[in-house]
Amino acid sequence: MAKRMDIGESALTDEDSATMATAPYNYSYIFKYIIIGDMGVGKSCLLHQFTEKKFMADCPHTIGVEFGTRIIEVSGQKIKLQIWDTAGQERFRAVTRSYYRGAAGALMVYDITRRSTYNHLSSWLTDARNLTNPNTVIILIGNKADLEAQRDVTYEEAKQFAEENGLLFLEASAKTGENVEDAFLEAAKKIYQNIQDGSLDLNAAESGVQHKPSAPQGGRLTSEPQPQREGCGC
Amino acid sequence: MADTAAPPQVAAPAGPGINPLARKLNKILETRLDNDKEMLEALKALSTFFVENSLRTRRNLRGDIERRSLAINEEFVHIFKQVKEELESINEDVQAMSSCCEDMSSRLKAAKEQTQDLIVKTTKLQAENQRLEMKAQVADAFIAKFQLTPDEMNLLRGTKDEPITEDFFKALGRVKQIHDDVKILLRTNQQRAGLEIMEQMALLQETSYERLYRWTQNECRTLTQESCDISPVLAQAMEALQDRPVLYKYTLDEFGTARRSAVVRGFIDALTRGGLGGTPRPIEMHSHDPLRYVGDMLAWLHQATASEKEHLEAMLKLVTIQGVEENIQEVVGHITEGVCRPLKVRIEQVIVAEPGAVLLYKISNLLKFYHHTISGIVGNSAATLLTTIEEMHLLSKKIFFNSLSLHASKLMDKVELPPPDLGPSSALNQTLNLLREVLASHDSSVVPLDARQADFVQVLSCVLDPLLQMCTMSASNLGTADMATFMVNSLYMMKTTLALFEFTDKRLEMLQFQIEAHLDTLINEQASYVLTRAGLSYIYNSVQQHKPEQGPLSNLPSLDSVSLKVAMAQFDRYLSAPDSLLMSQLNFLLSATVKEQIIKQSTELVCRAYSEIYAAVMDPSNKYKDPETILHRSPHQVQALLS
Repeated sequence: MAKRMDIGESALTDEDSATMATAPYNYSYIFKYIIIGDMGVGKSCLLHQFTEKKFMADCPHTIGVEFGTRIIEVSGQKIKLQIWDTAGQERFRAVTRSYYRGAAGALMVYDITRRSTYNHLSSWLTDARNLTNPNTVIILIGNKADLEAQRDVTYEEAKQFAEENGLLFLEASAKTGENVEDAFLEAAKKIYQNIQDGSLDLNAAESGVQHKPSAPQGGRLTSEPQPQREGCGC
Repeated sequence: MADTAAPPQVAAPAGPGINPLARKLNKILETRLDNDKEMLEALKALSTFFVENSLRTRRNLRGDIERRSLAINEEFVHIFKQVKEELESINEDVQAMSSCCEDMSSRLKAAKEQTQDLIVKTTKLQAENQRLEMKAQVADAFIAKFQLTPDEMNLLRGTKDEPITEDFFKALGRVKQIHDDVKILLRTNQQRAGLEIMEQMALLQETSYERLYRWTQNECRTLTQESCDISPVLAQAMEALQDRPVLYKYTLDEFGTARRSAVVRGFIDALTRGGLGGTPRPIEMHSHDPLRYVGDMLAWLHQATASEKEHLEAMLKLVTIQGVEENIQEVVGHITEGVCRPLKVRIEQVIVAEPGAVLLYKISNLLKFYHHTISGIVGNSAATLLTTIEEMHLLSKKIFFNSLSLHASKLMDKVELPPPDLGPSSALNQTLNLLREVLASHDSSVVPLDARQADFVQVLSCVLDPLLQMCTMSASNLGTADMATFMVNSLYMMKTTLALFEFTDKRLEMLQFQIEAHLDTLINEQASYVLTRAGLSYIYNSVQQHKPEQGPLSNLPSLDSVSLKVAMAQFDRYLSAPDSLLMSQLNFLLSATVKEQIIKQSTELVCRAYSEIYAAVMDPSNKYKDPETILHRSPHQVQALLS
């Protein structure tokens, strides 16, 4: 089971379709994510690392938006993440703004080696707050954590910014894969927690979360203790 | 015997005399009675009946013993007689047995003879039995291989309401396997069985495919929620149905229809209801902001299209036939067909309301971008959604160019006089602002580079050509210097506007060429202005037109040394303050560089004119006296003073 959830869906289709038939991979929820942040901070690489477990060295500029999916497990629930990776270039802003709509989670990314990308965070945050719903979970990610020598933004500083604005925070590296998994999982855990608290209304259209009542285990949702760490199995 | 019992004293006197009696006595005496058991027995027996030792008895003893012996023998005979009789009876019995045995043996022999046949038959039957058992095994194996178990049959036939399970597909696989295996039978002698089984299996396959199809169809019909859960069984069902292309296609159609209505509902909800509690707000709330309105709708559709494609990929992931990708694209095309009308109506409203050229252009680019993005998902198949977006793109582009042309024709309708400062007219500024905005939005558009270039050419010719005409027309009533200044200013404005954007090189070149033409005019004007004011104009003309046969230059009227001296005094004043003799128009030039260039080149012209005059005056054939006193500055000095 643990193995199953580690494989991105696209990989599954060609890898072991035989076992798929026997082991149902049905998921209980779909969470919609967006990834935002300045150009060149590594948004697409984070997504690629998360879905394909590979580092994409020569990542071309994203045109508009692209997307990827993967199934993860939180507190024993299978959750399908539908991730929309937006272009960082200013000229695409008008286009990418339309994708904030109905996102359950937003990954706001900056580059720890370029202070300017950190300085722009407040404008990204304003956009995110204005264009998503109040329950959208925003996680701040300092990417390129492997380039410690060129660091331009300290961990403490960003941590403080995150705390002041009520954001989750992690430093990650799309290159080494460090914390990439966690970035997506932490946000998913928080969203799931919101669902259990009842603060996120699943019946609301475009909450960014779709629940599948037909899926197995759906019923035991409320009996689960809240902050589960072990659930992700990684 | 009595003697032996005599007292031992009798023996004592036995002396040396050897006579038979003595020997006998000795012998008797030597007899050891203790050891003679026989004797002891005899004596014991004797003691039983010899009870009275008397003469009489002693005399009768021998008779008694003989009598006794006789009695015993008689008794013995008597007993043996019985034994003999017994033995004889046994003999008889044995004989009877013997005859009996013989009889039996003969009977057995007879029986054996009689059963011989039976045994042969039995053996045969046993062999037959074994063979039949073997056959039964073969038949069982045959049935196991070529027939389904009742359970499997039930699974396949099932009732309408029974759900399809994993086992159903196993049974279906068996039927298929059997159907294939039976072909081997057809090559053997078992053709008939082969044919029958084949027919049976074919029939069964039809029934089960029919059932599977009905079930799958029903499954698909229920998938009308916004979220769509493709169960693994459904994926398996599609895998099985791929062998029946017609059913496979019908099922996909059914799925497409169900999803189509789900997507339409989702779209309308997003447009009009938004999320509960108003976040996110319904898309139509932004209809006052055309770009956002259109962008939000298209982004929603982009996401929906991607999700639908994912659903289809999940559903068809086990299908191995060719053309799955095409199937997916086709069905996604079908699914997204439903939203085309609501989308078209809304975008048309936005476009027809004519929100202004720039906005129209932005919308057109946005549509083009989404056409490109969505075609990445549904492919280039003739999806109605793509056609609709393309139509809307063309419409917006058409209205955009209409609006540009309208603007241009308005320019031509009322040509204004140039402003007194000979700067760009308000119409020019306004149009250039429009152009700048269009090009800027073009620059920041999301459309691929090559597609942009074609648009650019069209936009430029649509705006720039009428603009040039308008400027020329409004300048047509002016004097040469005014006209040239005005044109240079206008062209310069156009050029600086365009220079900021890509793909304008050709236009810039053309504008530069036109600017230079007007610059030449201005340079000449300025030079002749200076020459006229410095009084050299007439002199210079005369020098140029003078021919040697007219005689010396000094003889011509107004070219005598006195007149030249007067003119030179004026020229000297110019040399001391060259800036005093600038045409007023030059101060209206917007570009300082252009003004510098005009001054520089016109000065060169003046210098050249002076050097020609100087050369003519110094020429002895023109017969000026003391020419150095008339022109006391060499051309080099003049040039040095002016530069």
